[in-house]
Amino acid sequence: MKYMIMTFGSAEGGLAAMGKEWMLEMIQFMHTLDDDLKKSGELVDNQGLADGSQAKTVRIQNGIPVATDGPFAEAKEALVGYWIVDVESEARAIEIAARIVAFVKQPIEVRQVMDAPPDF
Amino acid sequence: LRKDPRIEGLLRELAPQVLGTLVRRHGQFDACEDAVQEALLAASIQWVDKGVPDNPRSWLTTVASRRLVDEWRSESARRRRQETAAVLDLPAQGQAYDQDDTLALLFLCCHPSLSVPSQLALTLRAVGGLTTAEIAKAFMVPEATMAQRISRAKERIRSEGVPFAPPPAAEREDRLRVVLQVLYLIFNEGYFTSAGAELQRSDLTAEAIRLARMLHQLMPIEGEAAGLLALMLLTDARRAARTEGDGSIVPLAEQRRELWSKEKIEEGVALLTRTLGSVQVGPYQLQAAIAAVHDEAATAEETDWPQILALYGVLEQVSPAPVVTLNRAVAVAMVHGPRAGLALLGTLEADERMANNHRLEAVRGHLLEMAGDVDAARESFRKAARMTASLPEQRYLALKAARLK
Repeated sequence: MKYMIMTFGSAEGGLAAMGKEWMLEMIQFMHTLDDDLKKSGELVDNQGLADGSQAKTVRIQNGIPVATDGPFAEAKEALVGYWIVDVESEARAIEIAARIVAFVKQPIEVRQVMDAPPDF
Repeated sequence: LRKDPRIEGLLRELAPQVLGTLVRRHGQFDACEDAVQEALLAASIQWVDKGVPDNPRSWLTTVASRRLVDEWRSESARRRRQETAAVLDLPAQGQAYDQDDTLALLFLCCHPSLSVPSQLALTLRAVGGLTTAEIAKAFMVPEATMAQRISRAKERIRSEGVPFAPPPAAEREDRLRVVLQVLYLIFNEGYFTSAGAELQRSDLTAEAIRLARMLHQLMPIEGEAAGLLALMLLTDARRAARTEGDGSIVPLAEQRRELWSKEKIEEGVALLTRTLGSVQVGPYQLQAAIAAVHDEAATAEETDWPQILALYGVLEQVSPAPVVTLNRAVAVAMVHGPRAGLALLGTLEADERMANNHRLEAVRGHLLEMAGDVDAARESFRKAARMTASLPEQRYLALKAARLK
């Protein structure tokens, strides 16, 4: 079963507001986590996204798709990165998410990827 | 890399036998497994050019043994001398040995101390003779991830000291259940060809059938091994009719039955006829029997629902599960009317195992539609569409809801 584990952060200038110690610890934490998930044979993909302030949103204006600066959602939080893991159960995906939450102290969202076989 | 399907078939058939021979001789499942993979690769290249050797099995065994020795040589000169001696001392192989070895391998790969994804991957590689790249593609994960999963599984087998032998009599039934479950999951994973990976995933189904056929030949008196093979054949028979060209689902009642594979249905039914009644009945045999009743109906209207209902009744006794009750509710509705089916569904509401299960809502939607309660049916289909983790199924359910106006 594949799950996407998503981390959120401040929509604008999130990382830049953090202290040096925290940044270094965070880099180390992420490195170790990715390494562990690779070693366990569970990591499918992981990416960090550029700061939300760099986002472009493409929407229809006067019948034409137009790109504008800024994120889509008018929210304080924005997606900052994700992992896709292939795990035995939802419980395991939540266990991985819990490890991240314990470090970042921010809520993490866990969503199943829709590649389950249907009933027959 | 050129691929000759006959050579590939032969290699896959010989893979577990060669591996079994090596493991029995040297122990060290993980090193032997690597050596056999290398020998298979060498064969798939050399045999295409130079032809298949007279005794392909001993060719593979010799090459794999040599790889193993090379590996050990680089590891330790002292051990090399011992192991070379062992390799040169080749005992004659009887067929009974091969069969025991293949079976022992299957039990090893499906050992309960491994996670389910590991069991699937290791079985496909060590028993099925698939490469890591092929397995990775089939499960849509990066090759490095799959390689890591396999090597971890092998590490685990080593650290747990899992023996290369059939399980003791007391554990046999439970262990066989795991083996059957692993093959069933491989089949299930492959049965629905998701967009983009269509060919690869169908291969997984063919591979599951091949392994189930092998297991049935190795354990001809095991009714459930026969039942699993029959279930796969009778289900796979409908493959061509199950989906539209765009991957969308066609429900059983609307399938073009002329597309069903007569050969697979005949084989499955014959297998089932030989098995049922001669051994203790089990859940795979019963599910196969239900599939056979569907497959033998010339049209959906001619389906023998009373018989299906009776079979679900037995299945519910043999292996009770909410999903079985759910399926029985459909049969109840077909025999006694939708309200009776809905009443049975009601008994599942409080079952925690069915909480957030889209199947309960999907079946409810169908039965409400049968009963003419269009608004409630639409709501159930919508709920089900939100809960499923299968994309084609979500589209099917959302369309069902949209059409109920």
